[in-house]
Amino acid sequence: MNATKILQQGRQPMIRFLGKRVTPSQIDHSPKVHPASPNQALPESFASYRQKAQQHGPLNQSKFATGQIGGVPGSSLGPIEAGKGNYFDRSELPKRFQRLAWTQAEIDAVESGGASMFA
Amino acid sequence: MFRSVVPRALPRAVRPSAVSRSTFCAPNIYFQGRSRRGYASEAEEKDLVIIGGGVAGYVAAIKAGQSGLKVACIEKRGALGGTCLNVGCIPSKSLLNNSHLYHQILHDTKHRGIEVGEVKINLQAMMQAKDTSVAGLTKGVEFLFKKNNVEYIKGTGAFQDEHTIAVNLIDGGETTVRGKNILIATGSEATPFPGLTIDEKKVITSTGAIAMTEVPKKMVVIGGGIIGLEMGSVWSRLGSEVTVVEFLGQIGGPGMDAEVAKQTQKILAKQGMKFKLNTKVTKGDMEGETVTINTEAAKGGKEETLDADVVLCAIGRRPYTNGLGLENIGLETDDRGRLIIDQEYRTKIQHIRAIGDVTFGPMLAHKAEEEAVAAIEYLTKGYGHVNYGAIPSVMYTHPEVAWVGQSEEELKSAGVKYKVGSFPFSANSRAKTNLDTLGFVKMLSDAETDRILGIHIVGPNAGEMIAEGVLAIEYGASSEDIARTSHAHPTLSEAFKEAAMATYDKAIHY
Repeated sequence: MNATKILQQGRQPMIRFLGKRVTPSQIDHSPKVHPASPNQALPESFASYRQKAQQHGPLNQSKFATGQIGGVPGSSLGPIEAGKGNYFDRSELPKRFQRLAWTQAEIDAVESGGASMFA
Repeated sequence: MFRSVVPRALPRAVRPSAVSRSTFCAPNIYFQGRSRRGYASEAEEKDLVIIGGGVAGYVAAIKAGQSGLKVACIEKRGALGGTCLNVGCIPSKSLLNNSHLYHQILHDTKHRGIEVGEVKINLQAMMQAKDTSVAGLTKGVEFLFKKNNVEYIKGTGAFQDEHTIAVNLIDGGETTVRGKNILIATGSEATPFPGLTIDEKKVITSTGAIAMTEVPKKMVVIGGGIIGLEMGSVWSRLGSEVTVVEFLGQIGGPGMDAEVAKQTQKILAKQGMKFKLNTKVTKGDMEGETVTINTEAAKGGKEETLDADVVLCAIGRRPYTNGLGLENIGLETDDRGRLIIDQEYRTKIQHIRAIGDVTFGPMLAHKAEEEAVAAIEYLTKGYGHVNYGAIPSVMYTHPEVAWVGQSEEELKSAGVKYKVGSFPFSANSRAKTNLDTLGFVKMLSDAETDRILGIHIVGPNAGEMIAEGVLAIEYGASSEDIARTSHAHPTLSEAFKEAAMATYDKAIHY
């Protein structure tokens, strides 16, 4: 032990034990260029997709911070049910909740008990 | 009436509760691609769906299973392990090892005091040995899937939408599987040579090169990279007259140090391989019994015609995304077909990630493994790590060639001041006793700080020895650190230590 100490006074190895490995407390998850990317650039589509993507609110982090859509809890917008005497119209809902028009193929399928799908 | 009671959910595909059970999946078969509406119960959603059961995919699947994710892995080959285990690294290593033994018994026994009678090759049995190794390993991975609760779906997956993968099952029928997260790990395929049709008999890729039924008299290898030289070595040892045609001025492909490449070429040439560097293949004709290859000097000029029983196309590999349905979700690839990802392996669609050969970086199995673990860690812990500056490359010829970090040429072109130290195996005691002394260890370190920048080895056991170099680079060691670390005597690794000594000061035994 002492012999090692004396030896190491003269030379400090470059490899040193840094302590237990821990996950950094703050990690920036915003998309950045992959280290092995040949052109060192992210295409514009990454930013534009994030702008467009609506997944329980926009993915764009800055909007959360500025208090825009998704930046405030939904409950603060008031009750989701229509007020007394008022009704929501289906056409007011986002497109995915709106009515899907029946195609002729579907009508035929229902009327023929599914047989038309194999005709 | 009927219309008003039908749930108006998004058109979601229906999936049986357990895909692995080969039950009759009527709703899927009948409605997939036909109906826009979901009439049945919602599909069970996985935490992670992995497309591809190669090294990247299966490692990610096991890691995800260990992390407690509900994971499914889709593989169309019918066996796990991908190119590496089935038609790449593993079978080629079996052939390299056994052909080396044959070659050694044939040519390198007398002066060792061993007298051998008639030595014959039984190619069928050699292939059988290779198949046994492969089967054992792929079954092993399948066992690990079961152990870690990974659902293994045998079929071809394609994106239906951003969360749904339609799977064409190998055993017939179709199904769909939904995932909160999706990992693309579809790997790569051999790049075909324009003008030559791959038939895996006369014109072959590495896949055909590990499955030939007889030793060809003459073989031409287009491309003097790692795959070409390894497979060329195998068939050269078994008796083929092998000619390697390489467009560039050195063998080994990108990253191999020029001094190492030159030495390796000399050694392989001594073993019987012929090399035509700075030469391009202009035309190939497969019409007759043999294949005729026309070549000319890369810069134009001298033309030549080569005749071969078998031509191996080993000009590289390209990412494999055919039939994946990327167009259905609007995912783009770059000019070389690689999926574009960010630092956390995410494509522009955040929950879809890509790792391994299908995206950036060197097409190496161990790089894919690292990425697999990191991608799952990003998913589960939000933090992962792959050091692309410390990924080793190994060529399993004899002697082996291995390197990590930068080559001397790369340092020169980057204007980095460096020190060089090298040590030949001919001065290493163990190599001497093994009568296997070809090659050397070369170390490059920063002129100012002595931090190791690159390590290049050509010699016996280089592939194993490079691990120490990778660790040194990963930890940011100096050559003095290695030189002052005790290495057992007598071992080949002493050559590694002595090269480090030569870098920061002087080697003892040379």
